[in-house]
Amino acid sequence: MGEIVFKNICKSFGDTKVIENLDLTIKDGEFTVLVGASGCGKTTLLRMIAGIGPATSGELYIDGEEVTDIPPGKRGIAMVFQNYAIYPTMTVRGNIEFGLKNKKIPKSERDRLIADAAEVVGLTPYLNRMPSQLSGGQRQRVALARAMVKTPSVFLLDEPLSNLDAKLRVAMRTELIELHHRLKTTFVYVTHDQTEAMSMADTIILMDGGKIQQMAAPEVIYNDPNNIFTAQFIGTPPMNVHKMRDDVNYIGYRPEKIQIFRDKPTDCTYVRKVKVITREMLGSETLYKLQILSDAENEKEPIMSKSLDMSFAVDEEVYIGVPKEDLYYFDANKMRIRETDMLERLYCTTEGDK
Amino acid sequence: MTQYKKPNVKVLKAKKMASSFISTILKLGVCIMFAFPFFWMISTSFKTYAESLQFPPTLWPEDFTLQAYITVFEKLELGSYLMNSIILVVANTALMVVIMVPAAYVFAKYEFKGKDFMFSILMVAFMVPTCLTFISIFRMFAHANMLNSLWPQILPCICNAYGIFLLRQNFMQIPEELIESARLDEANEWQIITKIMLPMAKSTMATIIFLSVTGTWNSYFWPLVMTISDEYRPLTIAIEKLKGLESGLVWPNVMAGNLVLLLPVIVVFLFASKKIIASMAYRGVK
Repeated sequence: MGEIVFKNICKSFGDTKVIENLDLTIKDGEFTVLVGASGCGKTTLLRMIAGIGPATSGELYIDGEEVTDIPPGKRGIAMVFQNYAIYPTMTVRGNIEFGLKNKKIPKSERDRLIADAAEVVGLTPYLNRMPSQLSGGQRQRVALARAMVKTPSVFLLDEPLSNLDAKLRVAMRTELIELHHRLKTTFVYVTHDQTEAMSMADTIILMDGGKIQQMAAPEVIYNDPNNIFTAQFIGTPPMNVHKMRDDVNYIGYRPEKIQIFRDKPTDCTYVRKVKVITREMLGSETLYKLQILSDAENEKEPIMSKSLDMSFAVDEEVYIGVPKEDLYYFDANKMRIRETDMLERLYCTTEGDK
Repeated sequence: MTQYKKPNVKVLKAKKMASSFISTILKLGVCIMFAFPFFWMISTSFKTYAESLQFPPTLWPEDFTLQAYITVFEKLELGSYLMNSIILVVANTALMVVIMVPAAYVFAKYEFKGKDFMFSILMVAFMVPTCLTFISIFRMFAHANMLNSLWPQILPCICNAYGIFLLRQNFMQIPEELIESARLDEANEWQIITKIMLPMAKSTMATIIFLSVTGTWNSYFWPLVMTISDEYRPLTIAIEKLKGLESGLVWPNVMAGNLVLLLPVIVVFLFASKKIIASMAYRGVK
């Protein structure tokens, strides 16, 4: 069991306020991913849960219990650090055992727990090695085993994959998801990588400037973003957003929802004539950078498109179309407008292309 | 483009040989300069009095004798001096570690009011030479009625500012996450120091302890000032008395005494240097 509740949490470093009046509930047993750019406060939140970077004010509950005065070791949590924080002078076994020894767990029980954990992460042959003799991926596993063995009710992971190479990172991602299925405890995972967030999370908490921008399941965050920040943070390349011709509201559409035609389409709400600027082959898909052929100030920025059709050439003039259901509207404060009927009538259908 | 000129291999070889020859000669010279006095000391300590005065001197004793050692141990009663020296070395080093390690840890990893000020005071203490402070320390112990005992030879020496500084620098390089991780592993501060920090600072610790042990063992001035009676004096002062042991200056006696004084230092050095090399090697792997 491990539900985490933040109540009116504030945190400042010196005069800099990092987090102000934050309320948040992280559900028990879920894989929750805190995602955001550097300095958005995500690691700060994680360290609060761990008890190694207490909040300036506010209350924090784990499992319904106020933990402000409970030392880190007594909170029923385990943490995996970005640089793994493996004790370099202890063997792999020593590293995993250290916490158990401090908990005064008897030797036979310790040996059983260590054997189990080592088995799960595939470290059994390496138990007597020193960390300096291990590869990056193996060290990562030591850190995981060390956390697992404590059977915590909350697992905290601070960018645990960022020091691994790309291939290993993808493999470890799958392993972490499996680990979560196996352990069924609360996972709180911090990353700046939206792909990691999308692929692993049950719930994504997207943060910016110490505030939660949106908290939802990955598919909701992708399909139904609350604001321009969320819309552009999730998805690669980010959502194309530009001002509408009223110069107040914004319109947005995802690169992968753009359809490209040689002839002017009739069944799309949003249609523009564009010129292909660059073309990047990704294998299964092709990335086009497009310039809208328009004199309007608001459409000067190039847009990105991801298409399965690789036949369009650089400098070719083509049409793009976006269906009505794939258009997003945002107000002057960059917040999502969900009542879109009037906007659609006013700014899209009537205008068409030039 | 300039033409690549093929180097003359013979000239290069000759140059290389010449430079290695010169460097070997120089190294040898330095070795002899440092080693010869030791050799001379050892050799003289095994000579008879007559042979030690012989001219031209013999390099190695023709008449090998242990007489000088017997004289030194019998006439000087080295036992009580030796005991004092051992007590001082053990007490000074142990108490120094007890004070230095937590101090270095706190200065390296804790934030508290006045930390910088306290550390700068420590640095001042480290920089002021002993010859400036010994009079006031002497007076302090005189007022406390503690002169002429082992105390004034222990208490002023256990706060090793240099050691605290060195160890603090070492501790500062240990990543914060390791300590946080240990706290999450329910380690208390004492366990963090002994299980995490100290094993990572092995070479620094070995160096500081070695310096402290040799420093205490070799100290001459401080015990001479702080004590009057032989009862509380260490070996160094006893060796000084060798000069007046028999009528005239008996070189074999002096050298035998010196060797007895030096032996533990050499042993400690051999032991510590191994440790230092071991911990350096451990670092190299990282």
